Amino acid sequence: MPESIIKRYYDGLGEGRLVARKCNKCGAYTFPPTTACEHCGSFDQEWTELSGRGSLLFVSHGIAPPPNPRFDEMAPYAYGHIILEEGVTVDAIVKDVEPTPENLQALFESAPVDVEADPVNVKGLNVLAFKIV
Amino acid sequence: MSGELRDRVSIIGVGCSRFGDLLATPELVGLSLQELAAIAAQEAMEDAGVDSAEIGAVYVGNAMAHSSQLPGTYSQVSKWLGMQFKAGVHFEAQCSTTNVGAAMAAMAIAAGVYDKVLVVGFESTLTKPKELSPYERERISSEQSWMWTDYAVNQAYSVPQGYDIFSVYNGLVAQGYCRKYGYSIEEFDHAMFELCRTRRLHGSMNPKAAVQETLEDEAKRLGYDDPYEFWTSKQNPFVAWPSRIRSLVTACDGASAMVLSRSEAARNTPNAPVELRGFGISQGDLPWYAKDPTLWPSDRIAFQEAYAMSGIQPEDVDYLHCHDCSHISGICAAEQSGYLPAGEGLRYAEQGRLRFDGDRPMSTHGGRHAFGHAWAASAGSDTYEAVKQMRGEAGKRQIHPAPHVSMIHTHGYAMISTVLVLERS
Ligand SMILES: [Zn+2]
Repeated sequence: MPESIIKRYYDGLGEGRLVARKCNKCGAYTFPPTTACEHCGSFDQEWTELSGRGSLLFVSHGIAPPPNPRFDEMAPYAYGHIILEEGVTVDAIVKDVEPTPENLQALFESAPVDVEADPVNVKGLNVLAFKIV
Repeated sequence: MSGELRDRVSIIGVGCSRFGDLLATPELVGLSLQELAAIAAQEAMEDAGVDSAEIGAVYVGNAMAHSSQLPGTYSQVSKWLGMQFKAGVHFEAQCSTTNVGAAMAAMAIAAGVYDKVLVVGFESTLTKPKELSPYERERISSEQSWMWTDYAVNQAYSVPQGYDIFSVYNGLVAQGYCRKYGYSIEEFDHAMFELCRTRRLHGSMNPKAAVQETLEDEAKRLGYDDPYEFWTSKQNPFVAWPSRIRSLVTACDGASAMVLSRSEAARNTPNAPVELRGFGISQGDLPWYAKDPTLWPSDRIAFQEAYAMSGIQPEDVDYLHCHDCSHISGICAAEQSGYLPAGEGLRYAEQGRLRFDGDRPMSTHGGRHAFGHAWAASAGSDTYEAVKQMRGEAGKRQIHPAPHVSMIHTHGYAMISTVLVLERS
């Protein structure tokens, strides 16, 4: 029985793992994983994991109420632009930052700051999130 | 040989409804979507001086089937456009729809399949059919409209994990711009204020714009003598810090249309044809940028392709529209195109140089904030404005001298970077 790549990614988050794919043709990572390499289009990839360690480059926030009702109780939340140590960029929720202008200004001035992945379960779905370390 | 149009193609007619609210805007209240689309199509056909018999195909664009509830859009709407029995298709490229339609039409014409093609786009972002009524519509909430709109965005990973457009398209890009070019957040905020003033000035001079009140008049109406005090007040909150709500899109209902023709077959049109010299289309999934939020690969590729196909250079461009659903992203795209020098966009905005009477005019119809944004119709509204400007028919907001070459960049959610190059024949 085939297993959905998407399901495998979210299942991985539930175990604290960042499931990715590495291209056998160009060597680049595709994260989150897709059927083809997002850099060269090759279907020849293998499974791998990313460390979850990275730098938070910028952090802003979304609107409340949010477009996606899954996040009704969380919004507004901080949402950041992160580069992982493998060189992969990712946009994700940043935990434990109340998104006030003062807090975001302070982070803008101190960035980049070290972060690590700390997935959170939101209404039954494992969601990628990061915390400042 | 690829990357060229083998025959010359011109836009010979353009049409556009007023943008606004099907439940409130006087010109739109009570209209069905079929009738809304017909307003734009009829204007474009009359502008082109052609009748239905001369049209080879009709391409009908609509992005959000949840609000239209008109799948099978091409077959449902064609009769209302006078296009019964014509070849065609329903297509969408989200907010690039109508201009991708122009590119598709140009390809079909240059290949010799059709002489003339009608492209139509329409959208309601504010309303949906009331129950199952064929003509009554009702309000949809902003978050409902965004949820439906976001169905066009990475549904595997981004939307389920807390993505919304405001952070990624506004706040993060703004911070990236300030960091890269050394602007303070205060300088950014003031430049966004000036840019909004420019957009709203343009909207106030355009009878088809959704928002025709200047920013200064709005401030006064809400009790502020100093418009910048209004700008920084709670009346203009941060939607994605440091971007405020008036640096964003005004979601609307509306329709636009254009008639494209083989240039050789367009010698006796009532209005001067505008040649479609070239186009570029590229798509980038999230994240739309790597380490630097000001540089979007899909934009770079679309501009490169459009320049290559049209054979023009950045210095040839007299008028640029960039997708300005987010004002800072529009500035980044303008810098990417070469129309504005890198890192200078905020200063140009601050100095009023992007106004219709400035040396680098942009978004003279009012842009997504003042003219408004009706997803599948908006790219056509940008083309409408460019054609009117090039013909010298833009009224109070006319650029002098009328632009010879125009470039129109749009972002189709999420993200289809599309660039058209137009040249006065
Ligand atoms: Zn590869």
